[in-house]
Amino acid sequence: MPTDLPYAADAEVSLSYDELEVLRLQYQKELAQSHVTVQTTFNYGWGLVKSPIRTHQVEGVRLLQEIFRTEPTRRRECLYYLALGHYKMGNFEEARRFNDLLLQKEPTNLQAQSLASLIEKAVAREGYVGMALAGGVAALGTLLVAGLIRRATRK
Amino acid sequence: MASSKGKSPAERSKGARAALDPLVTDPSASGPSKMELVSKAIFAPFSHKKSDSSRILSDLAPVIMTPRMMTATATASARPRTSINASGTSGSRMDFASLGRAPMRLTLGSRRITSRDLQIVEATEELLDAEVPEPEGVASDVSLLRGFNATIPSSEKNRTRRRQMRNVDTPRIGLKKLGMNARGLMQEGEEDHEGQSVVSEEDVVMVAQVDDRGKRKARRRGRESLSAAKTFGKEELARQTQEIVRDKENLHVRRSLINSDIVEITNKIKALDDIREKLELDLLKIQEDELELDDELEGVRERIEFEETSSRHQNVKATTHVPHVAPSRRRKGPVFLPSEHDELPPGVAFMTLESHNTPITAVDFSEPYGTLVSASQEDSQPRVWDLMTGSEIGRLRGHRGPVRCIQVEDNLCLTGADDGVVRLWDLRHVDEDDWEREGINGLSNVAEEDEERSYDGEFIEKPNGIRSSEPSEIGVADRDGSCLRLFEGHSKAVTALYFEDECLVTGASDKTLRQWDLSTGQCVMTMDILWAISHPQTALPGNGIPGHLVPGASAAAGTFAVPTPPAADGSWDMYQDFVGGVQFWGYGLVSGSGDGAVRMWDMRTGQAHRTLLGHTGPVTCLQFDEIHIASGSLDKSIRIWDVRSGGTFETLKYDHAVTALQFDSRKVVAAAGENGVKIYNRTTMQHSSLLTNGHTQPVERLRYMDRYMVSGGRDSTLKIWTL
Repeated sequence: MPTDLPYAADAEVSLSYDELEVLRLQYQKELAQSHVTVQTTFNYGWGLVKSPIRTHQVEGVRLLQEIFRTEPTRRRECLYYLALGHYKMGNFEEARRFNDLLLQKEPTNLQAQSLASLIEKAVAREGYVGMALAGGVAALGTLLVAGLIRRATRK
Repeated sequence: MASSKGKSPAERSKGARAALDPLVTDPSASGPSKMELVSKAIFAPFSHKKSDSSRILSDLAPVIMTPRMMTATATASARPRTSINASGTSGSRMDFASLGRAPMRLTLGSRRITSRDLQIVEATEELLDAEVPEPEGVASDVSLLRGFNATIPSSEKNRTRRRQMRNVDTPRIGLKKLGMNARGLMQEGEEDHEGQSVVSEEDVVMVAQVDDRGKRKARRRGRESLSAAKTFGKEELARQTQEIVRDKENLHVRRSLINSDIVEITNKIKALDDIREKLELDLLKIQEDELELDDELEGVRERIEFEETSSRHQNVKATTHVPHVAPSRRRKGPVFLPSEHDELPPGVAFMTLESHNTPITAVDFSEPYGTLVSASQEDSQPRVWDLMTGSEIGRLRGHRGPVRCIQVEDNLCLTGADDGVVRLWDLRHVDEDDWEREGINGLSNVAEEDEERSYDGEFIEKPNGIRSSEPSEIGVADRDGSCLRLFEGHSKAVTALYFEDECLVTGASDKTLRQWDLSTGQCVMTMDILWAISHPQTALPGNGIPGHLVPGASAAAGTFAVPTPPAADGSWDMYQDFVGGVQFWGYGLVSGSGDGAVRMWDMRTGQAHRTLLGHTGPVTCLQFDEIHIASGSLDKSIRIWDVRSGGTFETLKYDHAVTALQFDSRKVVAAAGENGVKIYNRTTMQHSSLLTNGHTQPVERLRYMDRYMVSGGRDSTLKIWTL
């Protein structure tokens, strides 16, 4: 199967407000008619995921999950989009799990591979921040303790 | 640490106060100081001892914290830590990552965790568990992203750009402008094309060759550009070509998306249609159930009346020789079925009786789960079955030819056979032991019986024709135990019989109908069908007898024999039953005969007063109720006649000859030369066949009562059905 998936960079390019509005109106219209096509749902969901606003992203991921639930034939694709959505939201753990599942199905998928490395990088970055924080706290602690000890010994 | 620092000045002040005022009792002196407790509580997480922390908690708030709550809080504080460890498969790094994320959460107000957030994260497990099949159909052709790119508003951008370009630029571009443009002196306002060379017409044509749709557009543009004599430059045009190709691809994608949606909706509509159809059927079924209940109520009321009158007369009325029988064929009262029958799905054969070796020729039963009597070709001994157990009780021995017709009412059974004799049996006296004993005794016994019977036959043909019942019953009991009486008089095979109360009517291949008194065994009347044929009543002029079926006077001497049309499996028989069916009610008698006519007789006069013509083949079976007569024929149809007017009310066409039928106000059940039992729903006018676990060869005979049906087929088996 030819993979036709966007790279993670694509998710960072947000649509203009008008475009998103058009997609939203289309989705709302079909929702009112109680028959929403998969493509419309995806369009709106993906548009939302591309958006920089977090509430939009959450809603977008929710729509993608909806597609995942209702359309078994679209699940393979949705795995990637869900991974991407979670990645963008910073839920790296979820992103990694979705992406791993996709890689398990399609080990050669380039987009999935690149996303996997991106997730690893992001996790590592946060790990460093965390380590730095922990290190800082530890340093502060040792300083305080040292100060106390010195004070106690001086007394 | 901060508290430890703060502790020392507090203690110091306390000590100072104590020193200053020793008489004042310190409230905190009695127990551990508040400060101490707080400090302990703060250090508790580091001490890693649950008991400690809970004790501290209880110290802090001894009144509100019950022990159970304390343990709950203690464990709750311990739980998240373990779950974090468990969830992080990547180990410590994920921990650091979550730690690193924490300040971001604190600092950025926009990254507040909402319930939606939690919702989508919680759904992860469920989604990951779901099966991910290979994409198929439109999912494999058009990816979501492709569809996205094809349908988002910006996909139209290029087209609008081109249009704008054309429309804005076309008006009145003079030669001067053209020339300037050609020289590269003029910049197009909204676009970035740097047209240098003068476009030739060939370029436009090349664009137009892409395909039909493009051609039209291109041609239009060509016209415009020609009329305007405007040039865009080669690069711009090449770009536009590319754009158009891409737009066309997008259109293709959108078309396939819409097509798949249409297919999906079509499927949905079909599913909904199916559901509606099913609901409508349910509705009809409810209607039928209602009708059935009405009938049942009516039956119960009749029964009440009957029982009231019978109890009134019981003491007065003397018992008759032949036990009085309520005619089950017309009985409408409820038959209380064993409960397991209700649990069976309708239209299923739930029992198969296999013992016959030849196609079934006659079948009847007393009541659901009662006694069944069946006969087959080339077999003079009808078999008696217990329908409760499905086992053979015994056989009715005595006929000297295959049995053609059977009627069972409670414990009484009448059989008519090829030997022209009708026998009345008491089914209570048929049992297996009797049969086995006879079997052992062998042929000599049978021969003896035959002798006795022939003697009996002579006896019955005494001039007065009346046989006293008592000696014969004794004689019968000695001999067989089950045969109560013989009705002899027909010279050929008895093919149809019907009895009710004390009256019996038989039809035979000697082309006569006879009426008998059941209690005396006397032939009350003989009705000659041939006479009726040759003397048609003049009441209905124009009702000619179909000559091709009735071979005139010669038929009187000759034997009646018509080959049946082949059944579904191609098999056929020589049909020799001149009288296919008889039934009467009061004085009205209806017969169906080989000439294809349904005749209505008056049993007081013995005259046929009306003949219903329409069938083009011998009538094989008939039944009537208050309103209609239903007759089945070898002409592959069932006709339902109006009793009063004599007109055809309805004609049901089948693919093969009809050999048996039974109907009520709601349905017509027929054996029509196919393996399945045919049911015509008179309420919904729908045909259906019962096939589940059914016969493997065409059905020949059937009888039903309420929701219980017995059918016999050419495959020599009997099937018991639920309806």
